[in-house]
Amino acid sequence: MRLLIVEDEVKTGDYLQQGFREAGFNPVLARNGLDGYHLALTEHFDLLILDVMLPDLDGLTMVKSLRQHGQLTPILLLSAKDGVDDRVRGLESGADDYLIKPFAFTELLARVRTLLRRGQSAPAVEILQIADLQMDLLKRRVNRGGEKITLTQKEFALLELLLRRQGEVLPRSLIASQIWDMNFDSDTNVIDVAVKRLRAKVDDGFAVKLIHTVRGMGYTLDLPDA
Amino acid sequence: MRKPNSLAQRVLLFVAAAVLLCAALLAFSLQRSIEQHFAEQDAGELQAIAVSLNLLLQQQAGLLHAVDETHTAPAHQHGQLPQASLQQVLTGHHETFYLITSSDGHPLYQSAGVDLTPLLKLGPALTQITPIDLQSYQQQGRSFRGAVFAGDHGHQIVVAMAMDFHLHYLHLLSWTLWLSVCLAVALILLAAWLGVRQGLKPLAELSQQLESISAQALETRLDEQLVPAELSSLVKSVNQMIERLEQSFAQLSHFSADIAHELRTPLSNLITQTQVALGKERSAAEYRELLYSNLEEQERLNRMVSDMLWLAKSDHGLMTLQRTQVDVRQQAEQLLEFFELLADEKPVQLALTVSAATPCVVNGDRDMLRRALSNLLSNAIRHAEPGTVVELSISEQAPSWFMHTPAHPMLWLSVRNQGALIPAHLQSRIFDRFFRADPARQRHSDGAGLGLAIVKSTAQLHQGLVAVQSDDQGTEFVLALPSK
Repeated sequence: MRLLIVEDEVKTGDYLQQGFREAGFNPVLARNGLDGYHLALTEHFDLLILDVMLPDLDGLTMVKSLRQHGQLTPILLLSAKDGVDDRVRGLESGADDYLIKPFAFTELLARVRTLLRRGQSAPAVEILQIADLQMDLLKRRVNRGGEKITLTQKEFALLELLLRRQGEVLPRSLIASQIWDMNFDSDTNVIDVAVKRLRAKVDDGFAVKLIHTVRGMGYTLDLPDA
Repeated sequence: MRKPNSLAQRVLLFVAAAVLLCAALLAFSLQRSIEQHFAEQDAGELQAIAVSLNLLLQQQAGLLHAVDETHTAPAHQHGQLPQASLQQVLTGHHETFYLITSSDGHPLYQSAGVDLTPLLKLGPALTQITPIDLQSYQQQGRSFRGAVFAGDHGHQIVVAMAMDFHLHYLHLLSWTLWLSVCLAVALILLAAWLGVRQGLKPLAELSQQLESISAQALETRLDEQLVPAELSSLVKSVNQMIERLEQSFAQLSHFSADIAHELRTPLSNLITQTQVALGKERSAAEYRELLYSNLEEQERLNRMVSDMLWLAKSDHGLMTLQRTQVDVRQQAEQLLEFFELLADEKPVQLALTVSAATPCVVNGDRDMLRRALSNLLSNAIRHAEPGTVVELSISEQAPSWFMHTPAHPMLWLSVRNQGALIPAHLQSRIFDRFFRADPARQRHSDGAGLGLAIVKSTAQLHQGLVAVQSDDQGTEFVLALPSK
């Protein structure tokens, strides 16, 4: 996956590039707006990440201009402004998502993956699976190793989210927003409690643990490294 | 807009106009009354002369009659009265004149010096001369006034009097009057100006006192005893204003001190542990541990800064509410579902009671209201005694302990828990930023002490209110929102 990152702040640009490279992407970094604009028009990218505040060409103008040129690549805007108006203006300009600085890198990664997944219609699966864990979406049943696991509605939704995005680290804020519609930073550890309970039902008594805590970042559902 | 005229200017203008008007009225009426008095005097005098002249004419007519009877009358008296006896009537009267005509208008007798015939045409013959009947006319540069008296035998007796000396006197009088009016006005204006200047002196003193007040010296108060009664309400208001400013400044500087404290502790932790870790070579696992630990602190700092920014924006009116019709009951149920897990861990029980007509709809920002309610709930769960019930209730009635009556109908969301009592003197400050009822709980993993401040700001943004009540039975936080 080829990503174009347009960011004039040196440190931010560097860590974004490194972070995406290590997450398995192929990032290209442009350090000013005009270079970025030129690259976006001439080369193929799967996704553009633009800083709104650039000294030469601001992100909003760039998005508008790119869209006018028929450029349909998904665009994610990064901005230090978090007014509702700024967000609305960002999305109206034609961007697909808007993230406010400072953000957690896992959050950015999760959103980038969501954007990339969009468009390619998810295969209408009925059964989600990892190792010996199976989730039947139609019958709303979960088995592990042939044993039935009884989950509450929210636990089911949480496990479904983890299964659909297996291998990805999901930050707490994303889980809170997707499962409980809590769209603000809550200082409680409800998510930790929820995952702890789900883990007790899914992993306890099994040798292979599937749900993992990535300290400082969030949770992931994955097969442990061999 | 034009700058208003100076107070002194205004007062002087009004005083000048009033004094001028009064003095002019006075002078005018004085002059009129003196003129009237002269006219009455003159009319009386002329009447007396006319009556005397008439009497003389009658006597003469009587004599003529007697002479006719006896035929012994002296020749010089025949048909003629001696000028001297007519003239005698005028004796003692100042500059008076007469003209007597026969019934056909032929002049019979006439005093020397002035021709009174023009007066004959000016008015009818009268039997009683009043001031209104006096006719004035001019001759040879002199002014006269007079009237025509109807004599008994068809005679017309014209009497007149020179009025130059009256006029001269009146002229002098009016000149004196107007001069004194002008002098009086000037004097009064001077007095008024001095009075205004003296009267405004306390204001100048006030402004001098006010100049000494600055952000560093807000404890100064204006002295109410030193100003006149009219200014004491102004001084009172100014003092109240300074007091409010002083409170705000105190709050602000506490706030800054608190920010510094709240930021410094995690920052110094970060610095110290990083320095210690770098002090010698360590294993990868140890470095990782350090980074994790740093990350936790950094996230806390980040959250705190975001919350502070949120509050600052709400203070400065930069927060735009995304208003929709929010079903509070539905939101409450969802939040309780979220907090159920946390409550189970404690353990406490969560309960929802709704004693308001459903749906409980308010017009507000859904996310903001969810956040406020969530802050109240997490706060209540955090401070609840294990094994008790945290109760969220939605009602159209204010709680019984709430003393004020709000202007609009409200929907009352109250969160009640059983836990440590909040002392009364701390209850009013509990919604302050960074305030913690228990200082020992500082730097716990839970929030930065901004949660309740956010609840308060949310209420204010929605024209609602917050309140707290705490006793042995438990603590109740109330968030009231205007209902429709």
